Amino acid sequence: MILKNSNLNEKVETIGYLSLASIFWTFFRIGFFTIGGGLAMMPVMRHEIVLKRKWMNDTDFNAMICVATAIPGAIAVNMAYLLGRRLRGKGGLIVAVFGTILPSFITILFIVGMLSPYFQYHKVTAFLHGCSIAVVGQLAFASFIFSKRSLGKWQHFIACIIGIIIIGILKMHPIWGLIGTGIFGFCFFPHKAN
Amino acid sequence: MKLFVDLFVSFMIIGIGAYGGGMVTIPLIQHEIVTSRKWLAFKEMAEIFAIAQMTPGPIAINSATFTGFRVGGIIGSILATLAVVLPSILILNFLGSLIIDRYENNNYLVRFRSGMQIGVLSLIFFALWSYGSVAIKEWLDFGIALASFLMLIIFEGKLHPIIVILACGVIGIMVF
Repeated sequence: MILKNSNLNEKVETIGYLSLASIFWTFFRIGFFTIGGGLAMMPVMRHEIVLKRKWMNDTDFNAMICVATAIPGAIAVNMAYLLGRRLRGKGGLIVAVFGTILPSFITILFIVGMLSPYFQYHKVTAFLHGCSIAVVGQLAFASFIFSKRSLGKWQHFIACIIGIIIIGILKMHPIWGLIGTGIFGFCFFPHKAN
Repeated sequence: MKLFVDLFVSFMIIGIGAYGGGMVTIPLIQHEIVTSRKWLAFKEMAEIFAIAQMTPGPIAINSATFTGFRVGGIIGSILATLAVVLPSILILNFLGSLIIDRYENNNYLVRFRSGMQIGVLSLIFFALWSYGSVAIKEWLDFGIALASFLMLIIFEGKLHPIIVILACGVIGIMVF
């Protein structure tokens, strides 16, 4: 990990100075361009932050998703908080969280106030239906990328299946899935001794 | 006034319980808003979820703004939106200084987290399944979903995901 010894409260030197406006704008775009909720948001966040702007590498990004998911609240908001904090400290996290919420807020008010009559039109619903199907592709893409990166050993496959059983089949609260896989990983994953 | 306080408290509870992505949150919101507080009818709630799912942003926040507006106008929507975010901020603020910074590289935590990371993957698979089984009803739908998946993989990093979503919307206008 590149950022191994860096304090989270300090901005990371390697990426240079980031203006609050650019952080806000990035998260505003992410908020505006994601349909389908927090996890569907991850590919877009990764695209903007890891691939395009190179503010962070994939390993750190995945570790952050992990923390964001493990903590109560909307994943996208947690993620914005953590990323904003890593990028620019307190100011960064405030603009990142606001940037993430604002698009939802504006869009919903706009729709409730102006657009809801148009939801009757066939063309509008067909467009939105097409968009919502694309989200399935996006979630599949997220699973693919994430699997490719994290399913390296057979123990990982077993942990993943345990997680799916706990969350999907036993229908338990997702926190138990995370705790279960966490304990399994703690006990059975191959760890470098140090 | 009492209404606004209730609204704030309800959405704070939703914010705490919103766990593991939007799809998981929906039953909780339903319980709080429809069953317990009776602010909205079930039919209205379904409409909100449909819109929340098709509009940008996290579903918990979309439904907070929407319900807040229906129940208490603009002020209601602002309060509900802030309330749903507040627990995250407080918890992260507390954990951030206390745990994340101090123990980020703690060996035990790293080991536990390596397993949890796979748990997140399970959660994404689950979201894919629960979202997919609602959104995909026929072969045509499946074809569009597959096309968007392939586009994202082939042009990884070059094509912005939103372009894929918009393209699928345009395909939707043509075929549905």
